[in-house]
Amino acid sequence: MSSDRVGIIGIGQSEFRSRRDDASYPDLVREGVSRAMDDAGLDFDAIQAVVYSLSPDAMIGIGNAERLGIDAVGGRNKPFLRINTGGATGISSVAAAYYHVASGMFDVVLTAGADKIGECGDSQTVLNKIWDPSYERPLPLGTINMLAMSAVRYMERYGMTEEDMALVTVKNRRHASLNPKAHLRKEVSVQDVLDSRIISWPIKLLDCCPQSSGGAALVLASERFIRDNKLDAVWITGVGGAAETYWMGDRMGTAPTAEHADAYALARSFAKSYAMAGITDPMRQVHVAELYAPFSNTEFHSIDSARLVAKLGDSVPALRDGDFAIGGRIPVNPSGGTLCTNAIAVTAMARVAEIALQVWGRAGAHQVKGAKLGIASGNGGDHQIFGTMVIEA
Amino acid sequence: MGLRIQPGVIGCAIRPVIASRDRSLEEVIYDTAQLALTDAGLTIEDIDGIVVAANDQFDGRSISVMMASGPTGGVDRDIMSTPSASEHAFVLGALRVATGQFRTQLVVSWSPTEASSLPEAQRLGADPYFHRALPLDELSAHALQASAVEQAQPDARLAAEGVVAKNRAHGKQAWPEPPLQTVPGPLRWPVTPAMTTAPVAGAVAMVLAGSDFITRRGVRDAAWISGMGWATEPSFLGDRDLSEAPALVAAAKQAYEAAGITRPAAEFDVAEITDATPYAELLAYEALSLCPRTQWAARTADGSFARGGALPVNLSGGVLTWNPVFCTGLIRVAEVANQIRGKAGRHQAETVRRGLAQAASGFAMQYQSAIVLSREARA
Repeated sequence: MSSDRVGIIGIGQSEFRSRRDDASYPDLVREGVSRAMDDAGLDFDAIQAVVYSLSPDAMIGIGNAERLGIDAVGGRNKPFLRINTGGATGISSVAAAYYHVASGMFDVVLTAGADKIGECGDSQTVLNKIWDPSYERPLPLGTINMLAMSAVRYMERYGMTEEDMALVTVKNRRHASLNPKAHLRKEVSVQDVLDSRIISWPIKLLDCCPQSSGGAALVLASERFIRDNKLDAVWITGVGGAAETYWMGDRMGTAPTAEHADAYALARSFAKSYAMAGITDPMRQVHVAELYAPFSNTEFHSIDSARLVAKLGDSVPALRDGDFAIGGRIPVNPSGGTLCTNAIAVTAMARVAEIALQVWGRAGAHQVKGAKLGIASGNGGDHQIFGTMVIEA
Repeated sequence: MGLRIQPGVIGCAIRPVIASRDRSLEEVIYDTAQLALTDAGLTIEDIDGIVVAANDQFDGRSISVMMASGPTGGVDRDIMSTPSASEHAFVLGALRVATGQFRTQLVVSWSPTEASSLPEAQRLGADPYFHRALPLDELSAHALQASAVEQAQPDARLAAEGVVAKNRAHGKQAWPEPPLQTVPGPLRWPVTPAMTTAPVAGAVAMVLAGSDFITRRGVRDAAWISGMGWATEPSFLGDRDLSEAPALVAAAKQAYEAAGITRPAAEFDVAEITDATPYAELLAYEALSLCPRTQWAARTADGSFARGGALPVNLSGGVLTWNPVFCTGLIRVAEVANQIRGKAGRHQAETVRRGLAQAASGFAMQYQSAIVLSREARA
């Protein structure tokens, strides 16, 4: 039987790019897996189970495309299952792998996946199909105009401006310029963002994440295995998940069930993971955060929900003051975040991977000095299904 | 068993066929989840987490879990989905309970038939370069496997016909009233129309709880999970010997070791096996160490696996009676749980102390699972 804690002992990520013509979908999965296995110093015989991370099949163009990745993860004749919670899939997969180990049934579990969003044709056409075919799909909704509506409401409630949104992009691009695995690494100015074409007001081209191709993998192990084999690890000390309503219409209007400006269920998820990790004052206890924010405006309500500020909306003035840049009070998305890299199936896994590297002290040029406790999040569906984690050295 | 907390099944709702057209899919999922909660004597407030499983292509949506979040009670709860297979939702739900971090889990799966053609949807699951053009759907893959089995065991066809007769007889007892009659599926040589059943819409929900919760609530009819195993075959059909089921051998080994099963053929009172075709049931007999292939014909002929036999298999009638394609695996687990709980209805067996559920999904039994359920909790 395993002892209580679950550790991360291996991390693998691709250098994310717009296209990877040199690699098939299983090749990309294998790329992340090979790197994670090398990092863990294990061979495949040590892997007892696999959790496969893949969001909509249609992004790959193959139904149940996880079946094509079985060989790439060394899954033959082993326990294997796939998770899909949309954009949260990556962190949900790490959570599922965590449950495999924390249940006491397994000592070493691999979680892995990949995506080729840059090669899928039009991701927004695929993502329109997440909505109900009769009511909300024909509007037509996509994830960009969905979150543009959130931005408008956030502006109204908390005073966020288009310049504030641009500041998020400027910060994250600067961070990404330090991260060789990030997709968009070119620094930009506030004016560059404001001058970029409007996609769905107030979201402009440079407020948007890219469509990325690449893979990622993590190896998780029980504390007993880590100690017995004298391995180095960082620890998953808090795991949370929560969802809110599917219906966009229920988050808007005059009496929404959950205000679309905010991320109510993300806050609930963070509350669960903080309670599990014994965190009572995140503003003081959290050293670094990787928060899933595919559009610049959504970083604000993610910071609010993680309680890295005193109250909702305080993230806006704090970001203006540089609180969330590397060198600031609590750096947010030092990797450049989802805004600079988005291979959907593994984007939220990369949030966990990056925080693990940070608290391990292995993040390289974008290392946050002295980081020992970090948080990660993932958002899935129509900003509906959320997963969160606390990782400690 | 290595699980920290032993989980048990305390509620089931099996709806292998949904003939009504006056309920939307969301309403069907809601109805099924509520039935399972009622069966468990719980309300949604007692549920700490949810795992669902559905197929985006069958549902005609991307990320089906989104739509299901409301009807299953997922709003403000921790909800996950395992689109790989319905039975995977069960194992993940059980693992979550076993951590001790969740008191309970609601596990739900469904399989609609509104897709214009389920074989077309299944064909999208083949790789676009090599297999999609064949064209390959699940029944074609089952037929390739049946052909391989017939090659490897010449009297397999005779045994397969015996399995069909047995499961159809079981189905007639379990579901006697009209209009619940089976419709033979299409032909893929050597699988004849009589050896399959056309897809129907169905749904299934289960409530799992940890031993502390079960004890505290005074639940007396739990079906305890005493062993779980699941495993996958490789990616491509061409890399497999379809006359064998090594992933099920691996899954059974996990489950049996955890449950302390050393003589599988003698230690179960009932079994439910995913009989998408009778050849699949036969292969499972061998991989589960219930009967070697050399004895398939004799043991099916002598009624060993029929009601009243040494080990009744598929008293529910199995997939050969109802075929809600995607959720047939989870239904097998729920059927065994209900047998142990004494809630199987017309097809209830006498004195069921331990049962075995086997689930298979994907092309030619690609994903394999074996679940051992017991009336007694572990010591």
